[in-house]
Amino acid sequence: MAGLTRLNARLNRRRLIVASGGAALGAAVLGKGAYVAAQDSDVIATLVTDTAGIGDQNFNDLANAGGVQAAEDFGIDWRVLESQTQADYVTNLTLALEQGQLTVPNGFLLIDAVAEVAPQFPDKFIVFIDAIDENPNVQSVVFKEHEGAFLGGILSALVTQTGVLGIVGGIRVPPVERYEVGFIAGARTINPNIEILISYADSFEDPTLGQDLTLAQFNNGADIVLPIAGRTGVGSFDAANERGEGVWILAGDTDQSHLGPEAQLAYIKKGVDEAVYQGCEQVANDTFEAGIRDLGLTEAGMDLLGFHASVDQGTLDIVEAYKQAIIDGTIAVPANDAELEAFEPTVLEGGATPEATPAS
Amino acid sequence: MSDFFTVALLTATLRMATPLVFAAMGGLLSERSGVINIALEGMMLTGAFFAVAGTHWTGSSWLGAIIGVGAASVAGCIHAFWCITLRGNQIVAGTAINLMAAGLTAFLIQIIWGRAGGTDSVSQLPDVFGGVNILIIAAIVLVPLVHFYLFRTKQGLHTMASGESPQAAESVGIDVTRNRYLAVVASGALAGCGGVFLSIGNLSYFTIDMTAGRGFIALAAVIFGGWTPFGAAAAALLFGSAQAVQIQAQATSGFPVSPDLLVALPYLLTLIAVTGLIRNAPAPAGLGKHANAH
Repeated sequence: MAGLTRLNARLNRRRLIVASGGAALGAAVLGKGAYVAAQDSDVIATLVTDTAGIGDQNFNDLANAGGVQAAEDFGIDWRVLESQTQADYVTNLTLALEQGQLTVPNGFLLIDAVAEVAPQFPDKFIVFIDAIDENPNVQSVVFKEHEGAFLGGILSALVTQTGVLGIVGGIRVPPVERYEVGFIAGARTINPNIEILISYADSFEDPTLGQDLTLAQFNNGADIVLPIAGRTGVGSFDAANERGEGVWILAGDTDQSHLGPEAQLAYIKKGVDEAVYQGCEQVANDTFEAGIRDLGLTEAGMDLLGFHASVDQGTLDIVEAYKQAIIDGTIAVPANDAELEAFEPTVLEGGATPEATPAS
Repeated sequence: MSDFFTVALLTATLRMATPLVFAAMGGLLSERSGVINIALEGMMLTGAFFAVAGTHWTGSSWLGAIIGVGAASVAGCIHAFWCITLRGNQIVAGTAINLMAAGLTAFLIQIIWGRAGGTDSVSQLPDVFGGVNILIIAAIVLVPLVHFYLFRTKQGLHTMASGESPQAAESVGIDVTRNRYLAVVASGALAGCGGVFLSIGNLSYFTIDMTAGRGFIALAAVIFGGWTPFGAAAAALLFGSAQAVQIQAQATSGFPVSPDLLVALPYLLTLIAVTGLIRNAPAPAGLGKHANAH
């Protein structure tokens, strides 16, 4: 069985190299690019991406950035296996676990594959981003996307001129659902009657479709759109750039202002890079801890950053006030549809005035 | 709902259908000449990538478009060489083109831009006539042209003869090899146009696998359309409009249909089209068959 798995892994490696046209190979030969931060090191850490892959300018690039930084700081050997299809998850994870001490499966979509493979390598470590697996060698890192998105919803509802907001989702996996629900809750806190258009591409990899979904929302009155869609969401910026003045993109996960410097209203930071970095650090220092890490505003795992220069101070103060209210527990942000259903907005008194902002 | 069927919906339909129409016309020419072309996806991807690379190199999106179409034609040449000269299995050759295009483009992004996954932005093909992309107009003009070519010109009829019965065609002196080469290279060029539209017509950059299966949908359109230009174009439009309706419906608040169902709409329509429309439209009889050995 182990022999078979190894054979599969080998076959898959060969297929992967052919299929990606030696993309990884090329980077290795050239000795540049993010694929192999090769060092003389005992610790090998491997990122296994979801199908959106490296270059999504979003979730996977963020995880890779954390690993590249860790390679620099701790001298570990950081490698990347990209998954071309969902069928690659098990074979890529197997290969990664065989070759090194730490494996980083990136994304909720790998949940079944992790559950299948993790028990076969009880002495290897896994830092699983965005989903929970309870095997004893897995550290599951999940984020309170709803908390960051809530602030995004507050900001958007304050900035919108049309009273219509949009969400363009990839696939409605739980992290995306948390984004969606948190954003709606935040927007409704400011304006209970706000209209929110929600479209799904059913793909994290189709920027053309992302562009058209976003354009349709703009056409129907939305002036701020939140893409939560990996590579698909890159197309949202094209839609905004095409429209020009009067529309905004609220970016998810990471700063994407290079895609449209004048189009990005702000970005909801998701600390995937930091989580990967810390996972690498733990393995490098022999302090790996299995279990669940749930990171929100309090842990600085989520935040709202990169505000466009046109956002005024009064608006920023209101956002800050809500942030503090979430951190100190005054506001509990809903994390799923059921909680959103039951959500009663807490409107902060005088949130608009600077003195309402806690001095800290 | 009153403003549901708008100009925006029509525009979205054309944007969605245009790459499919190009690739479908390409697939049609190839299949009519007797060469199975499941390589449309790879040819589109090649065209999309080299349009961006060409624009990057020359600074002109027009030259970029020409380079993109040229590169896709080269992919067509390779397919033709494998299928016609080497008499290889046409499905295997097509699969190889698709894998090669996916790998080569991902690899070249790293060589040229030094990073993975996607290229930098380059200038777009300019719009003409008030915001309509020139390739949309080209796609509309293309369909009757292909019809005329296939059914009204000697060259076109020879192409179809090569696809129906290569042996018979050879016996009356038609150069099957030449006709098939022409058709397959043209199919590469046309599929390449579809790719160019995706990368520098709609967007301004290339990302890996950005065709997202559109080449296969175009091939399906050829088959639904009964291997006729107008049929294939109608099938491509059907798919494009289903996609556009889906997009518009999702962006309409309070639309009384589940989003999951809406996303499935194009595929549902495709299924209905297959079961309803394809009564007995036959494939070219010589499809996938080699001509006699010379």
